[in-house]
Amino acid sequence: MAQHQVNYTQSGGLPVALTTVDKILNWGRSNSVWALTYGLACCAIEMMASGASRYDFDRFGTIFRASPRQADVMIVAGTLTKKHSEFIRRLYDQMTEPKWVISMGSCANTGGMFNTYATVQGVDRIIPVDMYLPGCAPRPETLQYAVMLLQQKIRKESANKSQKPKRLV
Amino acid sequence: MMRPYTPKDNVQAKAYYTDRFWVAPRIAEEPVPKEGIYAEDLDALSAKCKVLKAYIQRGQLVIHIDPKDNITALKTLKEERWYEMLSEMSAVDFLAERGGFEVFYQILNLNTAQRIRIKCFVDENEAIESVNPLYRSADWAEREMWDLMGVKVNNHPYLKRLIMPDDWEGHPLRKTYPLEGDEFAQWYEVDKIFGKEARDIIGPENRDPARIDRYDTERFARLGHEVPRGTPPEELKKLEEEGVVTPVRYQEEEGVFLVKDLNEEPKVLDKRK
Amino acid sequence: MQQTNKLQPFFENLEFEREDNHMVINFGPQHPSAHGQLRLILELDGEQVVRAVPDIGYLHRGMEKMAENMIYNEFLPTTDRMDYIAATSNNYGYALAVERLLGIEDKVPRRAKVIRTILLELNRIISHLFWLATHALDVGAMSVFLYCFREREYAMDLMEDYCGARLTHSAVRIGGVPLDLPEGWLGQLAKYVNELPNNIKDYEDLLTENRIWRMRLEGVGVIDADLAKSWGCTGPILRATGIEYDIRKEEPYELYDELEFDIPVTDTGDSYGRYKLYMEEMRQSVRIIQQLITMYDKTEPELMAHVPQYISAPKEDIMTQNYSLMQHFVLVTQGMRPPVGEVYVPTESPKGELGFYINSQGDPYPYRLKVRAPSFWHCGILQDLLPGCYIADIVTIIGNTNIVFGEIDR
Repeated sequence: MAQHQVNYTQSGGLPVALTTVDKILNWGRSNSVWALTYGLACCAIEMMASGASRYDFDRFGTIFRASPRQADVMIVAGTLTKKHSEFIRRLYDQMTEPKWVISMGSCANTGGMFNTYATVQGVDRIIPVDMYLPGCAPRPETLQYAVMLLQQKIRKESANKSQKPKRLV
Repeated sequence: MMRPYTPKDNVQAKAYYTDRFWVAPRIAEEPVPKEGIYAEDLDALSAKCKVLKAYIQRGQLVIHIDPKDNITALKTLKEERWYEMLSEMSAVDFLAERGGFEVFYQILNLNTAQRIRIKCFVDENEAIESVNPLYRSADWAEREMWDLMGVKVNNHPYLKRLIMPDDWEGHPLRKTYPLEGDEFAQWYEVDKIFGKEARDIIGPENRDPARIDRYDTERFARLGHEVPRGTPPEELKKLEEEGVVTPVRYQEEEGVFLVKDLNEEPKVLDKRK
Repeated sequence: MQQTNKLQPFFENLEFEREDNHMVINFGPQHPSAHGQLRLILELDGEQVVRAVPDIGYLHRGMEKMAENMIYNEFLPTTDRMDYIAATSNNYGYALAVERLLGIEDKVPRRAKVIRTILLELNRIISHLFWLATHALDVGAMSVFLYCFREREYAMDLMEDYCGARLTHSAVRIGGVPLDLPEGWLGQLAKYVNELPNNIKDYEDLLTENRIWRMRLEGVGVIDADLAKSWGCTGPILRATGIEYDIRKEEPYELYDELEFDIPVTDTGDSYGRYKLYMEEMRQSVRIIQQLITMYDKTEPELMAHVPQYISAPKEDIMTQNYSLMQHFVLVTQGMRPPVGEVYVPTESPKGELGFYINSQGDPYPYRLKVRAPSFWHCGILQDLLPGCYIADIVTIIGNTNIVFGEIDR
């Protein structure tokens, strides 16, 4: 049987790696970014595609959750209409902190091509957005790149402080 | 000086130029042939109610009837001529020209694959009888018609807004309703979620996708006029009047990261790579 | 840190004090198995649904209003966003409606027709694969979801090679198609459609005799012929009730009258019967595409109809001939002016009868455009279909009716 030997005098102490609390918390947070499935319109199909076989979102640690209480990031995929706007705010408020929002696609960013009476002209009128993805609809690669950027952002944040209030609009 | 009058009865987009001598061609309204299925349909219908006008346009029979006869007409066609499917019904807004709506019922006979469009003209304050007992699909179609056009329907089991929220004002598909919505529509989500007092904080909707606010320091960088993020616009204007210019320092001179000096001599290649 | 807002916790859909044991629950508008933004208000007796009220409109983007404010060509990309799973079928439905309004339907060149029909059938395959994937996922078969998306991605690659977009194709123009097929595309397509029947067989092996699948689908969501006709149901839902009605056969458009294919029909009327129809329809689409591949080589390279009054000349003419350039300029800046009149044109989209009603008053803008979307009626039927079934069946029924909210709310 193989025996594991630690030579405490020579290797300078215990088999310990030193880090900061921030780093280890952020390491955990950034590698398990669970997303709330907020599929609203066409972009939802691309969001599903990025979770499906070819693009495989699970390898980033991103798993889609149906409940806002288990989610870290809300991916607003699609057109937000005025009738729906109330519910997006409600679900955003239900998410536990820390939380982030990715606005996916032109419609969610600015209303896109739907410059009409029924469309909210940018989801950032209602909830604060961390990242905007251009495209109509953005490809799954775009969404994956956004999640990678979000991971970088999470790693830079201070883990034990509550999030600063984000600017609306 | 008086402002020029712009008509408010149709605020949809209009052609900005039309030739003075332009006469729009019309799709031919062919007479209904004497024999055939359409002729039999028309005979069966005219036995029961008054047919104002009937013609064939692009292969489909179009029948104009009186709005009071809509139940009779559709019942005759459904039960005697097997037009069993109401594939579509809606209204067209003619409030400006004729003071009412043109309601159409698009029905289909599954056995012969023939389609008929029944049309009737309803005045603005007149209500049309619901055809829900004949075709269940009219349930939602009439609700949608009421919601978007404001055509009143009598004896509908549940006439409530279908598409727009319950507390919406106005009927969006009318020609008098602007595409970008009235004031109520534009502030709907802000009023509902944050309250009217938040209107000043959130600001009006940006309907122009190419708009750039030069005094916005949150979204736009001001190369050569750098100020801290979030500087109020009054200060910016003051700085601009004073002519304060920050000298641009390029990446090459260990200045701002990613701001490259592009003024270098262009390279000329001797031959294509 | 939250911004303060006025939203109160709401219980308006929950009535706590009722005389009977019924419970009112809210489903949606944001529910993973609602296939979009469907809100259902359900009255339950135990696990059984007593009353169901679907609430739609959460994706109403005002497309019909947009159409009234756009010239005819400008509206075409908007139709992509209606049934976003099979975008080309919408583009085609709209283009055909405008062509019939203009009366240039028979002037579309044959090569454009072949390409259009290939794209339509490829979109039917994409849509049906997507339907199977999500429906199986809802019912609990995760692996079928992954397999179907694998096949779907290959079909999307083909679409992307042709038009450059994965989802919102805009691959059809009024009067033809903008591009010829890229080199080697037909070979890849042939490879794909030859491989697809084997994959369809794999899915059937996984599902058809699967005990759970059959228990969840058989006898669930039974729509009889009268209800289907009364609600205006079309497509597979109508054909599952024993009525053989397919617009491709009955009112043929494009090349469908020259092609050989069967219309699968069943009279079970339940979800399982519809599942079998969808699988068979995919096979028929493969058969159609195989015939079209051989037709393509026999066509002339012309792609757009030659109607200078309505449709811009080919690019070479615009660049070389002054009059074509002028026509093109007028058509782009002012738009075409169709004759006064109205048309209603039905086409068979993957979900059912997709019809466009266009009322033209001779202006460059449509006076009224109404979209007859199949999902609208397939969603409306839920209020007659759901009462009497159990909560678990709701997911099956919603998934099986194949509704897409982009086209319900428009």
